[in-house]
Amino acid sequence: MTSIIIWTIQLALVPALSPLFVGVIRKIKARFQNRVGASIFQPYNDLWKLLHKDEVISEDASWVFRFAPYIIFAVTVIVGASIPLFATVFANNSLSDLLVIVYLLALSTFFLALAGMDTGSAFGGFGSSREMTVASLTEGGLIFSMLALVFAVDSANLFKISEAVSAFPLVAMMPIMLAFAGFLIAMLAETARFPFDNPATHLELTMIHEAMILEYSGKRLALVEWAAANKLLIFLALGANLFFPWGIATTVGLMPILAALGWFVIKVLLLSLLIAVLESSIAKFRFFRLPDLLFTSFILSVIAISLIIFI
Amino acid sequence: MYQEIVEKYISKNYQVKTDGNVLIYEVPSSDILKVATTLYFEQKLPLKTITAVDERKEHGRFRILYVFGVPGSSVFLVPYITLSGTEEFPSITKQIQQAAWHERKIKTFFGLEPVGHPDHKPLILHENWPENLFPLRKDFNWQQRPEEAHNTYQFQTVEGEGIYEIPVGPVHAGIIEPGHFRFSVAGEEIVLLEPKLGYVHKGTEKLFEILPLQDKVKLSERVSGDTSFTHSLAFCQAIESLSSFEVPERAKYLRVIFSELERLANHFNDVGFVMLDTGFSFGGANGTRLREQIMQWHERLTGSRFLRGVNTIGGVTKDISADTSKALLQDLQKIQKDFREFIDISEDSASLLNRLEGTGQLDYQIATDHGVLGVAGRALGIVSDSRIDYPYAAYNKIKFNIALEKNGDVRSRLYVRIKEIFASFSIIEQALASMPTSGKLVFEGKVELRKNSYGVGSAEGWRGEVFYFVVTDNEGQITRVDVRDPSFINWAVLGYAGKGNVVPDFPLINKSFNLSYSGHDV
Repeated sequence: MTSIIIWTIQLALVPALSPLFVGVIRKIKARFQNRVGASIFQPYNDLWKLLHKDEVISEDASWVFRFAPYIIFAVTVIVGASIPLFATVFANNSLSDLLVIVYLLALSTFFLALAGMDTGSAFGGFGSSREMTVASLTEGGLIFSMLALVFAVDSANLFKISEAVSAFPLVAMMPIMLAFAGFLIAMLAETARFPFDNPATHLELTMIHEAMILEYSGKRLALVEWAAANKLLIFLALGANLFFPWGIATTVGLMPILAALGWFVIKVLLLSLLIAVLESSIAKFRFFRLPDLLFTSFILSVIAISLIIFI
Repeated sequence: MYQEIVEKYISKNYQVKTDGNVLIYEVPSSDILKVATTLYFEQKLPLKTITAVDERKEHGRFRILYVFGVPGSSVFLVPYITLSGTEEFPSITKQIQQAAWHERKIKTFFGLEPVGHPDHKPLILHENWPENLFPLRKDFNWQQRPEEAHNTYQFQTVEGEGIYEIPVGPVHAGIIEPGHFRFSVAGEEIVLLEPKLGYVHKGTEKLFEILPLQDKVKLSERVSGDTSFTHSLAFCQAIESLSSFEVPERAKYLRVIFSELERLANHFNDVGFVMLDTGFSFGGANGTRLREQIMQWHERLTGSRFLRGVNTIGGVTKDISADTSKALLQDLQKIQKDFREFIDISEDSASLLNRLEGTGQLDYQIATDHGVLGVAGRALGIVSDSRIDYPYAAYNKIKFNIALEKNGDVRSRLYVRIKEIFASFSIIEQALASMPTSGKLVFEGKVELRKNSYGVGSAEGWRGEVFYFVVTDNEGQITRVDVRDPSFINWAVLGYAGKGNVVPDFPLINKSFNLSYSGHDV
């Protein structure tokens, strides 16, 4: 019985909370610009609105364009259910393997890029081209940063990593913090945030993620937007629970789980604040400078791995 | 009166007529290339505009007029050629690149063929406009809707492996004017960029021939909405130069103050938007906030956020009282301090400066070949500012420096604006301090224009020089108004500034020029 409850929470938590954190980041950014900003619940209203709108689909669109939003959304929900959010009791879940998670997310990126090119619009084309350029360069940093944790705890299961790291002494955290820096850079690239992409821009020519989804409208746009929010929360959760797994519930029980949920929200809020501060204080990088930054992410992760293996 | 200038610039073979501050003389068609290139290259006089007049009814001829300025003297030289029995004139584009769009415009609107022009495409009017209908000819019926044509428009193409085209616009995602850009791209690098404009063509120059005089002033305010004041100022000055009265002294100072307020509002906006387009949202928020403060002053002083209805022929309609003037000064000092702080914070951002430096660099030679004006020119060290070159209103009694930079990139254009903002504060302070405390605001007599004459109005808008060339017929009625917004000149070089940059940087480059579509399309 308890496992069913936990499993349900695990499945619903990411899609239920993800629009909230998008709203929170927007709110903080607005305050930084001396604006009042929309309510933090506005993304829910937007999704509700889009779900009730008619859609326009180009005559030239193939099945890829029609099905991609469902695939992308489904992938983010499955991944959201397979990563440690508040408890580490799912250790046996075969989907929770590090590589499975990373490549499931890559699958959604792949379909999004295909959908971007599907209608033959110039914007979708260059959006997809940029997305694949950034994605292929991000992959190294993303996998290696988490690989540092795999070496540290001798398991590729994310729940086991989380459980083991939460018991680490502070001294052992040093290389893990280095890996986190690498992860953070990769996370910003994967979630289309500054300094890689500007989620708030109206300039078609500068877009990456938004350019791919320009042709979507109505329900499918809602799914794509929702999936993007899910992906953001998934990465925030991975950052919070793999690198700072303190407060995560290791036993089943009402109180530990409630406390763990509280910790989860607080940690994710702190990471959201970090993103908002970053987006309010720096300019976006030039496109051809992005590889340098992603390379830095890779190097940081490699150093972290060497430290863990050799020291 | 202008004997010295005549002797210096004009060959003795030509009969020169002095007309206000215009020296006009006829040149045989076969000589115009030599005359124009001598003035342009040897005497280094800036070409202001080339335009045509249709005088078939009165004299059975067209004329093509070439307007050159003489910086520092407020005098304009106008050699012209007469076309009777022919609809062709020799093109000077192969020697003077700047003439290219002027000649194409004459071809499109007057149906006169520039012989030897390398580009045969029409300008401004699109492929749905009938080929043999020329709206600025006198026999054109402007009240009748022309039939829709279905011609084709051929963009320049680049061939080669991996080259693809990106069509952008005319409708954009942001709230900006419509214009189409065709990029030919290799990967992310722009190989060729061709703007196609004309989507906001309003038939302004035809309307200028038809509307009554006071409505013409209103029309000039609507040529490019963000430059309402400078456009109407340049137009009023052109009309005033066609008559003999003096504009009251106090009005001259008020014109300076309003001009600079318009510059402040738009420069604040541009500084904000250039920063916003790099994703630096702090800059965007503060730039637009400061602009709004100036716009509210516009409304408080004149009742119009865009300073409309202020200029009138012979002066201005709105006064600034002593009390208001004090409040304005105090507020401007506060805004200036605020702006200084905002720029100091922004300059600390390495990521911002990195985006600006070297982006959208315009080549000096290309800029001078096209006669680039205003902010874009001064960002390359090209010294041109009609407040100094052809002093108007009360600018000759005010001290200020021309803001110059030398790299011609986005950063230089931003810094020219920042420097001009500080200069504008000082100009307004000086003008408020030295303005006569009382006196009339407007000439109250009857306005009569000289017959068969020419009027020139030049005023430095926030983008660059706004230029009006007005021709009257033998009854003293205005028969032709040539409107030349600085955007008309500067649009021609935007493609060059974009070339070699990556596509995601183009919006930033475009914003750093911030040209008017409406002012180009008239």
